[in-house]
Amino acid sequence: MDSALIPKGVRRCSFGQFILFIAIVGAVLLWGVFAMLLCWLKGLNQTNMNDYYGFALWIWADLAVIALGGGAFFSGFLKYIMGKDELKNIINYAVLIGFICYSSALLILAIDIGQPLRGWFIFWHANVHSMLTEVAFCLSCYFAVLTIEYIPLILENRQLDRVPFFHNLSHNMHEVMAVFAATGAFLSFFHQGSLGGVAGVLFGRPFAYREGIFIWPWTFFLFTWSAAACGPCFTIFVTWLTEKITRKKLVKDNVIELLAKISGWMLATYTFAKIIDTWYWAAVTAPSAGFWLPDFYSGNALYGPWILFLEIIICGVIPAFILVTDTGRKNRTTLMTAVILAVIGVCLNRWVMVLQVMAVPVMPFDKWVLYYPSWQEVATTILPVAYGVILIAISYRYLPIFPQEKELNPAD
Amino acid sequence: MNKEHSKAKKYGMVIDLDKCTGCGACMVACMAENNVPFKKDETNKLDSITWMRVYKLTNGKSFPNTEICYLPRPCMHCEGQHGHSPCVSVCPATATDYSQETGIVSQIYTRCFGCRYCMAACPYHARYFNWWDPVWPEGMEKSLNPKVSVRMRGIVEKCSFCFHRYQSAMEKAYYEERKELEEGEYQTACTQACPADAITFGDLNNPDHAVCQLKKSKNAFRLLERLGTNPKVYYVSTREWVRRSGDNYLRGYEKEGKVKKHRELAGH
Amino acid sequence: MKIGRRSFLSFVIGGAAGTALTPLPWKLTDDLSIWTQMWPWTPVPEDGEVSYTNSVCTLCPAGCGISVRKIEDRAVKIEGAEGYPASDGNACILGLSGLQLLYGPTRVRMPLKKENGKWKEISWDEAISQVVNKLSDLRSNDESPAVACISGSDYGTVPRLLRRFMTAYGSPNFMTVPSMQDSYALTLKLMHGVSALAGFDFENSNFVLSFGSGLIEGWGSSVRMFKAKSLWKEKGGKLVQVEQRLSNTAAKADQWVAVNPGTEAVLALGLANVIITQSLYDKAFVENHASGFDAFKKIVTGFSPDKVAKITGVEESAIISLAKAFAGASEPVAVCGRGQGKTPGSLHEFMAVHALNALVGNINKKGGVWAVPEPDYIKWPEPELDEVAQKGLATPRADGAGSEKYPDTKSLLNQFPKAVCAAEESPVKVLFVSGANPCYTLPGTKAVKEAFDKIPFVISFSSFMDETAQAADLILPNHGHLERYQDVPTPAALQNPLTGLAKPVVEPLFNTRHTGDVVIALAKGVGGSVADAFAWDSYEACLEETMGDNWDTLLEKGFVAQAFEPPGWDSAFTTSSGKFEFISQACMAESHQAAPGKIAIEGDNKKFPLILMPYDSIRLANGFIGNTPFLTKTLEDTILKGQDTVVQINPKTAKSRFIFLDDGDYAILSTPKGRVKVRVNLFEGVMPGVVAIPRGLGHTAYDDYLAGKGSNFNELISPVDDPVSGLDAAWGIRAKLTNVPL
Repeated sequence: MDSALIPKGVRRCSFGQFILFIAIVGAVLLWGVFAMLLCWLKGLNQTNMNDYYGFALWIWADLAVIALGGGAFFSGFLKYIMGKDELKNIINYAVLIGFICYSSALLILAIDIGQPLRGWFIFWHANVHSMLTEVAFCLSCYFAVLTIEYIPLILENRQLDRVPFFHNLSHNMHEVMAVFAATGAFLSFFHQGSLGGVAGVLFGRPFAYREGIFIWPWTFFLFTWSAAACGPCFTIFVTWLTEKITRKKLVKDNVIELLAKISGWMLATYTFAKIIDTWYWAAVTAPSAGFWLPDFYSGNALYGPWILFLEIIICGVIPAFILVTDTGRKNRTTLMTAVILAVIGVCLNRWVMVLQVMAVPVMPFDKWVLYYPSWQEVATTILPVAYGVILIAISYRYLPIFPQEKELNPAD
Repeated sequence: MNKEHSKAKKYGMVIDLDKCTGCGACMVACMAENNVPFKKDETNKLDSITWMRVYKLTNGKSFPNTEICYLPRPCMHCEGQHGHSPCVSVCPATATDYSQETGIVSQIYTRCFGCRYCMAACPYHARYFNWWDPVWPEGMEKSLNPKVSVRMRGIVEKCSFCFHRYQSAMEKAYYEERKELEEGEYQTACTQACPADAITFGDLNNPDHAVCQLKKSKNAFRLLERLGTNPKVYYVSTREWVRRSGDNYLRGYEKEGKVKKHRELAGH
Repeated sequence: MKIGRRSFLSFVIGGAAGTALTPLPWKLTDDLSIWTQMWPWTPVPEDGEVSYTNSVCTLCPAGCGISVRKIEDRAVKIEGAEGYPASDGNACILGLSGLQLLYGPTRVRMPLKKENGKWKEISWDEAISQVVNKLSDLRSNDESPAVACISGSDYGTVPRLLRRFMTAYGSPNFMTVPSMQDSYALTLKLMHGVSALAGFDFENSNFVLSFGSGLIEGWGSSVRMFKAKSLWKEKGGKLVQVEQRLSNTAAKADQWVAVNPGTEAVLALGLANVIITQSLYDKAFVENHASGFDAFKKIVTGFSPDKVAKITGVEESAIISLAKAFAGASEPVAVCGRGQGKTPGSLHEFMAVHALNALVGNINKKGGVWAVPEPDYIKWPEPELDEVAQKGLATPRADGAGSEKYPDTKSLLNQFPKAVCAAEESPVKVLFVSGANPCYTLPGTKAVKEAFDKIPFVISFSSFMDETAQAADLILPNHGHLERYQDVPTPAALQNPLTGLAKPVVEPLFNTRHTGDVVIALAKGVGGSVADAFAWDSYEACLEETMGDNWDTLLEKGFVAQAFEPPGWDSAFTTSSGKFEFISQACMAESHQAAPGKIAIEGDNKKFPLILMPYDSIRLANGFIGNTPFLTKTLEDTILKGQDTVVQINPKTAKSRFIFLDDGDYAILSTPKGRVKVRVNLFEGVMPGVVAIPRGLGHTAYDDYLAGKGSNFNELISPVDDPVSGLDAAWGIRAKLTNVPL
């Protein structure tokens, strides 16, 4: 039925099957949209946030998707700047995932603010001292870059490509893509960092506060680093997931392994830096504010030392070790284990830097406050996932996302 | 013009915790003065707008050696370093500002778009978000004070040291062709309402103001001083356990001088 | 023209770019931001000229001077009035939030009559004529004692107009809401032989020994007490608090003495024992101005420190040192009246505590207890009584006050519901209620409500739809407290007589009428000698005439403070001996021989292993005025959580063989009188075995900001008659806590 739109020489499931899939995911999406409308119309009282949890699930989701979307900028950086040409076979997908992640982040932010209609004040009345201002500017700019990177991909659709204007546009955009990729990489280094800065500059919150260089706390660099390390892992993970679902090989092993190797070294160095950061924070920064490390990990029902161990050892040291070793990468099981652990690790790190920051009592007479999200928060957080799945499904079906697909799956 | 008097003001408070009886008059005076809304259920204290909140501290000892102390907590109007209070520096839309002229941390309600970053930054929980539309039962909106704007849903609000009272006092002084205010001319609603006379308000820079002397007491302390927030609300208590409740102390740590040295290094 | 794909796209893109270049999007964005800054449903208070009107707060008997800020004709803020005696510049938390009562939704806006359980609007003329008809009918049937009146106070022109009405009409049944002031008045009557109010010269005391009085929780004139407490701190005065719970007063005291519940009088006698045996008492006073000392000494001998230590749980050495410190201070004063002093309490306890003051000779002296004359500015001629009135007044009172059993007590409201419930047909057919909310505030609320149901015609003068108004048949709403004139007699426990005047701050908002005017109109309606007793045209005329020369001062300054020196010891006592009496003859009657000391409370201690005790909080109004939304907002979540009362128990009480409770858990609290679901707060400041419950919650009336929140302690208890006074002596009730069945 829609065969005219499907790229030549590849096999796709039946249109009915496709529509059924879209409908199921679409229902989840609509649930999210309903929750989103509730939040907009009735206000943020629909959430379980409160004056102790001004930042909660949504900000975590924002930070997490942006970290995971880091695969786009970092593979772009590797391909266009560092000249790792093999990565051209996965870059499209990385860009698409990045696009989804960033648009989701913007959407969640639009729901998260109390006066969404005034959201543009962040640009109009910008306070240059605020990390959030930096985030907003870089995020918007990078989203524009990702859009520009994603457009030529859309234009490669069989039908659109027939229009000479689009064909030429697409061609010309490809030519200059290196410039955009470089811009994107630059912007990304900044806003990934600013997101780290969001928590790191809070000198009123000893759990989050870090010292640093100039205006940038150490978390600034750690966030960029961890996004560069774990973003590509997420790209690998989603690629693997797509391969499982489509029951096809879409990207060659050498490409995946290259990306995994780079990720591995990034992760290894990140984890090392994170350990040093944690040590310095525990030994110097926090005590100077009146806190021993155990203060942050006791006296409540959830946050114990396990979370530190899980984040740094299980989701840092172990995957890094697997990914830097040849045998670890070559084995699909260990590779995917490492990749998933890395993804969990970065998400956990973002959770800790948002939610645990809010949970830790600072005034000596204050108490730990735990929080669980309302269904509206959960639904609006799942909303981008559903949206992402749909966009991936549509893009995969109609656009030549994987250049190696034809070669790996010759039509019979 | 007298040179000394042209100096910038630094309005602040000294609260005598030995005098405070926890009666709550400050909280209600504040709510009435500043059009603070109220809901049918305000027992979830995590979602209850109280610019002035009175905390109840206990010494943690068992019966009958238990002691309690009330601690009124307005906004601390942190000066940080050169006005970089924790909240002001993080607001992305410049909706909150540190006034070098008065030392007051303001909140521009029509500018705030409700990102709540300032709330995350404030260790005192002095900032409150309007999770709900404020609703006054029919007729009760008559009691609203026109000198303070009513806030809408979706924005952050906090204690302003009754800034509108400063404005009114300055206006009056201006008409009388004066440039300076008398100590009593500008007082916050909570200070005025405290029946135990526990709250003293004034210019911390002005040696003639009572606060300037009171804060020098050996029993004076501020909340979470070592974070470098540099708050302008001082507390006084003769009880040691109360004073120690004002900050997080690590056994044996201070003695080594690490804190001081480190704070210098960190620039706080 | 054919529109191709290309031209269409050009059109769309070009159009979008063109629009972006026009001012339209920018204008819309701007409008949007302005709109979000002024949502039409967010009220914008109108500005205008600022003015201040001074008045006196009448929401509780503390009578603080207030200054109301107005914008044009709107009242926007209540503050304390500078220079007003005792409260000087401050008001309590309830007074400060008074505008929420003025403008709040609980006001009764017009006369209402209950028909088939529903409220119906009725005109003033109609309402008054209906009452007049009923009164006239009863009177013509010689049933004048079947009319009764409950007044919040005995003093002031409105209570006195009501009382006068009852007298002229011919009913002895004028009752007032009891408080510790009744017990103190009786104490002074029995020990000093005078009709007076107890005043305390706290400002000059330097050692205050309080037996459970919530001195900074609303006891007496609350604001004055806050100031006194700060003064003690500044001047180095000591406060010792005797209480089972670490109340705010106990927390602020220099010493907290946790005694076993109900053993306060025993402790007082134990202290007396030490003072006497160690010869620390004021010999000049005791030898020359007191009688019955030897008898008292004999009683006290039975209260040696070791015995008292066993009963009270206070260490023997602590008792001795406390007695020494008290007697050794230059201006010591002992005070009682539990919590806010809203319940009368055991007369023996009051007398035992007062005896301590006598022992240290600090009566009618600087820093001590003063017998302050009752307000005497109302000097109306006695009403002429017709035959019906004379006959009616000669009948015994429905509440038993002044009877052979309780000869010295003036009013016994606590006995009234019992009397009504016990009779087959209610002895009272018409009941007026003014300035009181007995259906909420009286212990044993269930019986009170039952009595009210039994009385055929209940008329409430309340400005608010409170529990009593709800139970009434007719509401004749008074003006709000900021809309009317009202004289304010000397606040409770103040040592200097003071008369204040509450003035209208705003025009009455609704179709309400001053209760004074309504009483005058009723008297005129009944006619005859009743009408003759009310010669005034209006309440205002009556008030002005009553105040005489002081009227102008009152209007201008808001108060008249009389210079007062308490009489010296030579002329202070008008007992039969002309001296202070340590042992009153009234207590010697056979029926009153119960050993001084513990007052038993209701309940079997096997079935109910714990003791439930109420506590008062200044943030929780528990008198005839309910909490305002602001007040309720200030309540900690260890008092009220959601819709549930939180009771405080010691962690030791929470974990026993029978129960296991964690902080915040639900539990069933039961007493012999009822059971309610509560939450528990584990607090080390409560004596093990005691359950502390806040008073002031559990309203069924008022608005959504108060109704249905928590449980009313008065429903879990019933009065215990004091053997001497007949007043309610209960200070708690036995209780148990059980886990909520799953």
